[in-house]
Amino acid sequence: MTENRRPFPLLSVVVTAVAALYAVYRVREVLTPFVLAAAFAYVVNPIITSFEAHGARRSILVAGGYLLAVCLGAASYAGLKPLIREQFERLGADAPVYLRQIQKLADVQQAKLSRRLPLPPKVAQRALESMMGTGLEKLQNIPSHLFGLVPLFAHALLIPFIGFFFLLDGPNGFASLIQAVPSRYVEQAIHLTSEIDTALGNYLRGIIIVALAITAASFAGLFLMGVDNAVAIAILSGVSSFVPYLGAVMGAVVGGGMALYQFGSLWAGVKVVVLFAGIRLADEIFLQPIIARHSVHLHPMVFLLALILGGEMFGFMGLVFAIPAACILKALLKVSWSWYASETGLEAPRDPGAGVPYT
Amino acid sequence: MGPLRSLKHWFIDPQFSRKKNFLRSLDIFKDLKEREFGHLVQSLHSRTYREGEVIFVEGDIGRALFLLESGSVSLARSGPDGKPIPLYTLKPGDFFGEMALLESLPRSASAAALEPSRVHLLYRSKLDALLQAEPRIGVTIMSHLARLLSARLRRVTSDLRPLPAKDD
Repeated sequence: MTENRRPFPLLSVVVTAVAALYAVYRVREVLTPFVLAAAFAYVVNPIITSFEAHGARRSILVAGGYLLAVCLGAASYAGLKPLIREQFERLGADAPVYLRQIQKLADVQQAKLSRRLPLPPKVAQRALESMMGTGLEKLQNIPSHLFGLVPLFAHALLIPFIGFFFLLDGPNGFASLIQAVPSRYVEQAIHLTSEIDTALGNYLRGIIIVALAITAASFAGLFLMGVDNAVAIAILSGVSSFVPYLGAVMGAVVGGGMALYQFGSLWAGVKVVVLFAGIRLADEIFLQPIIARHSVHLHPMVFLLALILGGEMFGFMGLVFAIPAACILKALLKVSWSWYASETGLEAPRDPGAGVPYT
Repeated sequence: MGPLRSLKHWFIDPQFSRKKNFLRSLDIFKDLKEREFGHLVQSLHSRTYREGEVIFVEGDIGRALFLLESGSVSLARSGPDGKPIPLYTLKPGDFFGEMALLESLPRSASAAALEPSRVHLLYRSKLDALLQAEPRIGVTIMSHLARLLSARLRRVTSDLRPLPAKDD
């Protein structure tokens, strides 16, 4: 019965994990809806489990939940349909005008600067054209960055569909995984998944709350200020907030630009920027402490490195999932250290009072 | 079968009810309320071990309490010659490995399934989560463990005979 003690096959686990990561990287485009659906199911799962604790069948709860969501979605759309349609029609009509205005503004500023520079006119114009060209190129790149958001909308129907099956399977999938783990390592496997669950679950649920709060607050603020396309800007700001700090910045830049153009005064633009600064501050003061209470704390440098690496390797989706991936990595390191420390006796228990006889 | 009973049967998960009934039969959870058993069931991980399969080995760091629902499990300790010395055979309703809920120390014995055995694991971090979210469940378990620990210690202490005082 006493199996020969073998060292934990850490090397084989690491090699397998690296190979799996490489395979995922190669087929990342195909996996996108599945990853998003898994994240969706993971975030929604606590609602199902809270009802499941009363003994109800999971299949009925998931189907009932979807039905309720469809009804609520349809009712909300019916109520907001005129506003949403009006806002998007206006945006479609005005977009070319906005782009022309930006180009015109750039030309005027370029001409003004070229007159003021203490250089021969042709040299000054060439230098400015080069500089403005770079700036405009960056400006032109903004839509391509925003196109990174398109998968989120393109998979709008596919994600809940795949997510339905993830939710339906729920804990059975995890149970199958535990059943497949060699018996000696069941405790370690559960230890690892518990740590990842604690770190990841709170972070993912947290950013969804933040995204919804930013969308609602942005819409309310912009609507009250009378800024055009409040719905589109609020949605853009909310979706961008999946990338840490980007939501408020995107809202301030696009909303501020819109207000500047619409009202023709700098003050209107400043008011929108102040609104988004306020939203960011409120998020930092009220939401972040609740979200960060139980999730993994990452050093700002690690945070930044994860975002840069994620963006470089997987584009916008990489930016969205960079921090969750960093949370998983940190949980893995934490668990590895805990195993190592326990096995080698580095974490010796301290028992003050253990020497006192039992009375 | 009346329509209400039939509806309930259709709505209620039979596996969930089976697990709940099993937990209700255990002494360690005897003070829990009906609603609390639901949360407890969700905190457990279940696994079926084949005959002869090792559950844990003496010296492994313990991290979970094991509840035996069906089958039988043998506990054994290595003798001086390295051969296993059987200590106890657990039957359905028994639990083992409970000290892992209190501290991360090496297991003092090995456990292996003697026949196909259904085991539920209560992992320590799940117990910690229960202590925060549902304190009554966590406190009930901890209180039972404390009583168990006290009983074992009392038995060991009563077996000890005081040594005569040395006269120098």
